[in-house]
Amino acid sequence: MSTINFAAREINFKLVYYGPGLSGKTTNLKQIHAHVPVESKGEMVSLQTEDERTLFFDFLPLDLGKVNGFKTRFHLYTVPGQVFYNASRRLILRGVDGVVFVADSAPNRLRANAESLRNLRENLAEHGLSLGDLPYVIQVNKRDLLDALPVEMIRAVLDPDGVSPLFEAVAQQHVGVIEPLKAVSKLVLEKLAQRA
Amino acid sequence: MLEPSLDLYGEAAERVEGLLVDLLTQSRARYALLIDRQGFVILHRRAAWAPKPPSLDSLATLIASNHSANEAIAQLFGEASFRETVQQSDGVGTYVESVGDKALLVTVFDASAPLGKVKLFTKRTLERIQAVLDETREAAPVADIGGSFSAHAGALLDELFGDGKAP
Ligand SMILES: Nc1nc2c(ncn2[C@@H]2O[C@H](COP(=O)(O)OP(=O)(O)OP(=O)(O)O)[C@@H](O)[C@H]2O)c(=O)[nH]1
Ligand SMILES: [Mg+2]
Repeated sequence: MSTINFAAREINFKLVYYGPGLSGKTTNLKQIHAHVPVESKGEMVSLQTEDERTLFFDFLPLDLGKVNGFKTRFHLYTVPGQVFYNASRRLILRGVDGVVFVADSAPNRLRANAESLRNLRENLAEHGLSLGDLPYVIQVNKRDLLDALPVEMIRAVLDPDGVSPLFEAVAQQHVGVIEPLKAVSKLVLEKLAQRA
Repeated sequence: MLEPSLDLYGEAAERVEGLLVDLLTQSRARYALLIDRQGFVILHRRAAWAPKPPSLDSLATLIASNHSANEAIAQLFGEASFRETVQQSDGVGTYVESVGDKALLVTVFDASAPLGKVKLFTKRTLERIQAVLDETREAAPVADIGGSFSAHAGALLDELFGDGKAP
């Protein structure tokens, strides 16, 4: 949940990039880090294995500036997608305000996408949260693959009712990276407005 | 409603800042931070003689994540948490104590501060912070950030990210 720090007059939001292994979550954060102006970002922290797979998380703080006298910040995290790192994924979801689900367009990853979404629902439930109540968008990544599945097929698996905002992306080339981030951020702010 | 990360503001925040300063003086530690469990910095103080700290966002995130990982390890054995979290290298050390279930008190020290002192004064500071929090609990403020907050923040998002398309 968003936290307000009266002592420092700050409002902080936590956004988490979720999805199966190698779908491109870390690539998203690297791209955001590379394209946001220096004064609006902090250091990126990556806890990864030797072969650059996420071990615990990546972290990138973004600074939106002052809103009504409050310094407003988004903390971006990725989870490790590999199945056996579930304990870490669950920890990262603590206090989450919004989720970007990064799906892989490769035909042989369709099932991994579905499994990861199921896993996300389970882990959210452990924190007393459900996807329906949470700002949530889907990024269908790796659209550049020659054998990329049709987006509608991926949507049918991840969002059969067609209720979640969905963005196509080639994260590696910085295509479709900013849109889902901006969309989920706006949803988080809208939710805040409803509660206030 | 917006959750305050701690019921800490105004005069109480100033008192806690004072306690962090005392902690640094008494223990001879470099930095003292109050962070929430999600890794956001609430308050921090640096000893006048200490070198410039590394990125506090990175520090707070890593300490908070490390702490929840340690807690998860303890829970594998049916314990709620480990009794203490000390990390020490030749050059620098960190000592972490829980402040209730929402925050952590972090002391960063170097070889000039004996660990015993760091622990003693961190624990003492923890009790005092807890006392301040208990006193002010009833007076928790309404999280009034202004109705226009989301609209303003949304405008800043547009400014930061442009129209959302790749450049
Ligand atoms: N073809 C293609 N490859 C991509 C794209 N985005 C990322 N990749 C590649 O996919 C691989 C995995 O990317 P990561 O960002 O590390 O994936 P991840 O989701 O963080 O993986 P885990 O940390 O294991 O969960 C890398 O080799 C990237 O270069 C894309 O849009 N198209
Ligand atoms: Mg990764």
